[in-house]
Amino acid sequence: MAKWYCGEGFQDDIVLSTRVRLARNLKGIPFPNCMSDEDAQKVISTVEDALSKLNYKFRLIRLSDITDVERQRLMEEHFISPQMLKEPAKKAVFLSEDEAVAIMINEEDHIRLQCIYAGEESEKAYNLISKIDDFLGETVQYAFHRKYGHLTACPTNVGTGMRLSFMLHLPALCMARMADNLFAAVGKLGVTVRGMYGEGTKSSGYVFQISNQTTLGKSETELAQNVTDVVNQIIAKEREVRRRIAKDKGVSLEDKIMRSYGIMKYAKKISTEELTGLLSNVRFGASLGIIENVSASTLNEIMVVTRPAHIMETGTETGEERDVKRAEVIKTLLNKKEE
Amino acid sequence: MLCTHCNNKEATFHCKTVSNGKTTEMHLCSECAHELGFAEKYSDIFGDGMNVNSIINQFFALSGKKPAVDNMLKCPECGIDFKRFNSTGLLGCDKCYDVFAEAVETMMQRTQGAIVHNGKISGPDSEEIKKQNEISKLKSELQKAILEEKYEDAAKLRDSIKALEKGERADG
Ligand SMILES: [Zn+2]
Ligand SMILES: [Zn+2]
Repeated sequence: MAKWYCGEGFQDDIVLSTRVRLARNLKGIPFPNCMSDEDAQKVISTVEDALSKLNYKFRLIRLSDITDVERQRLMEEHFISPQMLKEPAKKAVFLSEDEAVAIMINEEDHIRLQCIYAGEESEKAYNLISKIDDFLGETVQYAFHRKYGHLTACPTNVGTGMRLSFMLHLPALCMARMADNLFAAVGKLGVTVRGMYGEGTKSSGYVFQISNQTTLGKSETELAQNVTDVVNQIIAKEREVRRRIAKDKGVSLEDKIMRSYGIMKYAKKISTEELTGLLSNVRFGASLGIIENVSASTLNEIMVVTRPAHIMETGTETGEERDVKRAEVIKTLLNKKEE
Repeated sequence: MLCTHCNNKEATFHCKTVSNGKTTEMHLCSECAHELGFAEKYSDIFGDGMNVNSIINQFFALSGKKPAVDNMLKCPECGIDFKRFNSTGLLGCDKCYDVFAEAVETMMQRTQGAIVHNGKISGPDSEEIKKQNEISKLKSELQKAILEEKYEDAAKLRDSIKALEKGERADG
């Protein structure tokens, strides 16, 4: 199977990705912020042993065995978090054969199981991660408390240890200046909304992360249902505004979108910052039907494989060389999918 | 716009977080963003993004309801003391949850709105825990049935509890 960002998913013209993660720790070993090198190795080998008994195959990557660029690359694919770059000797990640599941070892907790898919695929993601968790839970001894549930280094993750998050592309709500009010309203419903914004910071690309705020007191299903309900409401609102925009879109919106598409197809140099804005416009245009033959998965793939470490791996040295290479990669991917 | 931290340089980092109906805005220059660790945290927009330290500091510093915890209280297992927990927001080991139970529960109540796990159960005692949970659930139903004078229901519930306590299935 292809990597998550090459795949398709439900409502993937708005939902860039669904990610679910479970935080777990092993009984009797100090949490990563307090652990020795020896403890760290013990966690890695315990999980390695356990996973070797599973039919679903994983590949172990020790962060100390790979280069800086390779680590950065894993981060760009969202298989590891920035925290994994510190103290690499203690860190490892298990990547499933199909690359849908990444298990980070010794991040803030001993074990962070995560599954990521393109589109709104929370059930599929949770079911897969939960199965692996069941297996691990029977094979190793988790730190589990009768009252508090799964123990985590930070009490804000305790209980289910679950965080379900969606990346949403919401250009219409932002253009209509409805996003702020909507987020303030849904913020009261047990979800957290995060996003970059700001005058001049077009680099946000109108992308927002929505996730469950709490992990304790409710079951995994209830927590997931709540954040999924909120996300569906946001999607419905975004679609409503998109329909309105599509109906009375002036030539200037169409012009802005086609110009962005033109730059992506023909420009000789493109920086990451510029690309974020272009991608957002083209994604919007494709969803409105202004641009044809460009799928969400093509845009997701462009979004990930043009990031700095991915481009650096092709042997580019200077910033300018990277911008040139990036433009080439974009062109190739756009043309490949149009044929 | 000037950086709200140093009030000196132009803010290039803008971030807004809406959580629990409260909006937090940050405008920082790139230096301060790096120094405060925000740039890293927020550059990974896929990450959890919970700024744990601020959640806790906010809580223990501003709530005025600072729990009466001895700053010298220390976990015998991992050696973490309350002061360190309070500043990092991280516990050192599973034992810490019992050592700092009072502070941890106050914090859970505040950030999670709950102190009791209600999800998946793991570990060697999971069957036992599930049984105990079922029994306490039935017991509170029994209490309710008695209060509402539904004696037939109460009798059934009592039988189920007995069966469970004896280790049988409570199907009947
Ligand atoms: Zn500053
Ligand atoms: Zn401890």
